[in-house]
Amino acid sequence: MKAREAIDLLAQHRGDAVAVCALGMAANEWWAATKSEDSFYMHGAMGFAASFALGLALALPQAPVWLINADGSLCMNLGCLLTEASQAAKNLKHFVVDNGVYQTVGGLPVVNDGRTDYAAIARGAGFSRVRAIEGLDDLRRQLPGIVTEDGPSFTVLRVESETGFLRTPPMTYEGPEMKYRFGRALERRFGIEVFGPQGY
Amino acid sequence: MDVTARIHEQLTKCGIKLAASLPDDWVAPLIERIAADKAMRHVRVAREAEAVAICSGAFFGGVRAVALMGATGLLTCTGELATLNLRHQIPVFLIVSQRGSIDDHRIYQEVQGRRTIPLLQAYDFPYHVVDRPDEVSSIPDAFETCRLQKRPFVLFLTRRLVKGEAVA
Repeated sequence: MKAREAIDLLAQHRGDAVAVCALGMAANEWWAATKSEDSFYMHGAMGFAASFALGLALALPQAPVWLINADGSLCMNLGCLLTEASQAAKNLKHFVVDNGVYQTVGGLPVVNDGRTDYAAIARGAGFSRVRAIEGLDDLRRQLPGIVTEDGPSFTVLRVESETGFLRTPPMTYEGPEMKYRFGRALERRFGIEVFGPQGY
Repeated sequence: MDVTARIHEQLTKCGIKLAASLPDDWVAPLIERIAADKAMRHVRVAREAEAVAICSGAFFGGVRAVALMGATGLLTCTGELATLNLRHQIPVFLIVSQRGSIDDHRIYQEVQGRRTIPLLQAYDFPYHVVDRPDEVSSIPDAFETCRLQKRPFVLFLTRRLVKGEAVA
């Protein structure tokens, strides 16, 4: 399956989940599929979308939080799996789009090209709900169960490698605007106060 | 009341409900005190930048948070502080041991002592040094300044504060 197909399918099953996306391909494809402002699209801090999503999930236990991660980002912060497993947030679901390459910089291979078993690493870290999904039909069949079960779960989406700089363009806003769009969206949805009475 | 209890009391006063930490020996007693507090969610992390990103995510859930670490750990997460917190103007409040001071006679802290504050100045990250127990009450003001300035804010704890006067 292609990354776009997998992410389109995730988006169809998203329900009311708040998403946090790793920078690059994951963020760009999620934006293309959802155009959603109640998603946070990392533009930096590669590897740490996972930690950001965990902090959000712990702070908002009433909200389903989906992490749309990518293999290159996961490699940069494998320790996040230990922290996620230790916190056992029931509302957090971790998806990893595994294309084996750094797609947005031209498709160069990810470290340890083709040999890493991310699902085994997650099991070793203490995740009990772990899947590695190879094809679109399998993903379509398993997603309803993934969506309804308690987290934390870890799902690897094995997709085809594709090349090309910025195949899918990024979201059309960034920096502080992303902060305020995301924060205000969560304030509206959950009745919480992200920003104080003076707006900061 | 010992200094760790005082700092904990002030963090409670700030409304902090989540703490993410990776210890060095100066902040370890504070971390263990927070870990025992049922009113604060404590997250032990594998790398200090995780604490930064966890606190940043918690910010969007409307939860006040603090990241606790040593000075060496702070140096490891400057990239994330710049590309996540500076880029998006997300406040993150860090409590950090001020290692490498003249009374910290550890050779492997020497560079941190010379370069940490110039590095923060280069990034334009505000900071405040707490050196005496009666200065601990400045923590709520520091926390509010962090939110107001919408960027990383480092509250340094000195050796004298956390370990007492050095013995010659």
